[in-house]
Amino acid sequence: MSNNANDREVIVSVKHVDISFDTGGKKKFKAVSDANFDIYKGETFALVGESGSGKTTLGRAIMRINPCSAGEITFEGKRISGKISKEEDRNVVRSIQMIFQDPAASLNERATIEYCVSEGLLNFHLYKDENDRIAKVDKALQDVGLLPEHKSRYPHEFSGGQRQRVGIARAMVMEPKFIVADEPISALDVSIRAQVLNLMNKLKAEKNLTYLFIAHDLSVVRFIADRIAVIHLGEIVEIADSETLFEYPLHPYTTALLSTVPMPDPLIEKSRKHKVYDPSVLDQSGDPREMREIRPGHFVHCTPKEYDEYCAKAARLEKEKGAR
Amino acid sequence: MDMENTNLFEFAEFDELESEHIAAPRYSYWKSVWRTFFKNKFTVGVAVLLLCIIIFAMIQPMLSGYSPIKTPNINNSHLKFLKPSLEHIFGTDHVGNEVFDAVWAGARNSIIVSFICTAINMLVGIPIGALWGFSKKMDRWMIEVYNIISNVPFLLLAMILSYVLGAGMRSLIITMTCTEWIFVAYFIRTQVMIIRDREYNLASKCLGTGTWTMIVKNILPYLISVIMTYISREVPSLISYEVFLSYMGLGLGTTNASLGQSIAMYTSYMNGYPHLFWIPVSVLAIISISLYIVGQKLADAADPRTHM
Repeated sequence: MSNNANDREVIVSVKHVDISFDTGGKKKFKAVSDANFDIYKGETFALVGESGSGKTTLGRAIMRINPCSAGEITFEGKRISGKISKEEDRNVVRSIQMIFQDPAASLNERATIEYCVSEGLLNFHLYKDENDRIAKVDKALQDVGLLPEHKSRYPHEFSGGQRQRVGIARAMVMEPKFIVADEPISALDVSIRAQVLNLMNKLKAEKNLTYLFIAHDLSVVRFIADRIAVIHLGEIVEIADSETLFEYPLHPYTTALLSTVPMPDPLIEKSRKHKVYDPSVLDQSGDPREMREIRPGHFVHCTPKEYDEYCAKAARLEKEKGAR
Repeated sequence: MDMENTNLFEFAEFDELESEHIAAPRYSYWKSVWRTFFKNKFTVGVAVLLLCIIIFAMIQPMLSGYSPIKTPNINNSHLKFLKPSLEHIFGTDHVGNEVFDAVWAGARNSIIVSFICTAINMLVGIPIGALWGFSKKMDRWMIEVYNIISNVPFLLLAMILSYVLGAGMRSLIITMTCTEWIFVAYFIRTQVMIIRDREYNLASKCLGTGTWTMIVKNILPYLISVIMTYISREVPSLISYEVFLSYMGLGLGTTNASLGQSIAMYTSYMNGYPHLFWIPVSVLAIISISLYIVGQKLADAADPRTHM
């Protein structure tokens, strides 16, 4: 699958992006540094990292909420970071939508569901007449498994899962091409997480969408993502196909992260050793660190010396897997 | 598990859409506000009292035709300084006029001035404050404007304006609105800043919603309760301002009745005829307090947390 990665159409490209925040003083806080990746059309690209690693910041930079301090982000080949023309802006707003983490906080509590869902339609006048708008809202609600009668209700009357689906309907009604899903299920009850994930997958297939899925829960990511980028302290340390990453984790941070995934088996869990990531195991020679391709489609952030080590490790793991 | 036992069970069928149905009765914001407001009997009592006072204050002066410069009984010493009785409800004053007429004519002007000023301050202050809270660029210079205006002593300004514009309703309204709006705007600015960056506003931004729509649909509905609280303090405080300015001789002028003027006029008779002083003061207190109570209760009712 990864071999033909070069033939696939790139929808969003993040090139050498730095994002820093003013802390008031002279020093700026760098939340993301030198992020580099492409997202291909039709895939689910996951961004995984612990809290504070900059994954949401990066997602919001693509949404153009946070400005990039260096580098650029392109969408369908056109630059969308920095200042862009008004027409371009309208196009990008329509094409890139976001699903938020907390469904309770991301809906306007004083507006009806009808207004929440048709807000984007109203802004861009994406309907012929009132009946068409209502029909579109009904359709969007039905697509996410809600009822048209919910239109006149207020967000606080819904359960968490229903609210998150309203959030999804609100994004889908714009007919976007690309969706940034910022931990869309981490605020939901475990019992309805699968429902929302399945809905997202269903809509992706129906509407030919591309997702950037931001998460910290690796088991969820394994379920939904095609490719995964692991981010640590604002630096992307490893990018690979989903299965590759779980089978051949190379960067020490990735291995540590994978070792923390809980196993639903008390016997295994009891005797399991959790690895702790210690940055001192990295090459301290000061050689330039950059994304290097170890195996086809599998990139690791490393120095030349580490590159050789990782290649050897990958070969060793491959052999072990083959022997089994 | 025994294979046989599994046959004892069968899958129950259920309609997935049925589980999405919301059984609770429909929620309407304003209906809930009124229901909460009318639930409290004391509040309703105060509201009715307030309404009666306001209606009475609007109508009674028209019937009595009271004016402080009309003194038909000034030469009739039998009609001066009478104690309150059935015939003269609030008694009579030093020129033989009915205190009852004087108080209601004064209350009328005080209420009108404070309502008009509150309306102007709110209509100007709220939109400017909302934009001010939203725009970081505007905040940079508005805060300097605010610093300058808020440091001008109010009494000095009132004196200068009354010299320049003369006494009367128009100049009093200008005095009480020309700087007051910026305090409303500043209050709204702070409130807007608190909720400006909440996630639902971010979501609206991602949907391409403009600043003004955001203010009207996302911000102001959340501020109804705090704005109501502000108004409930603003109206009585402007009545007191009006009374204070009229007392200082900077208000409506000697030709117009006003509570402040009545109080100022009657203060000199406080020792011999205390009712002359206490009656207008009590009427002022009753109006201010009931306005404040009704406003506060409305503000509480406007907060959806009280609707449950």
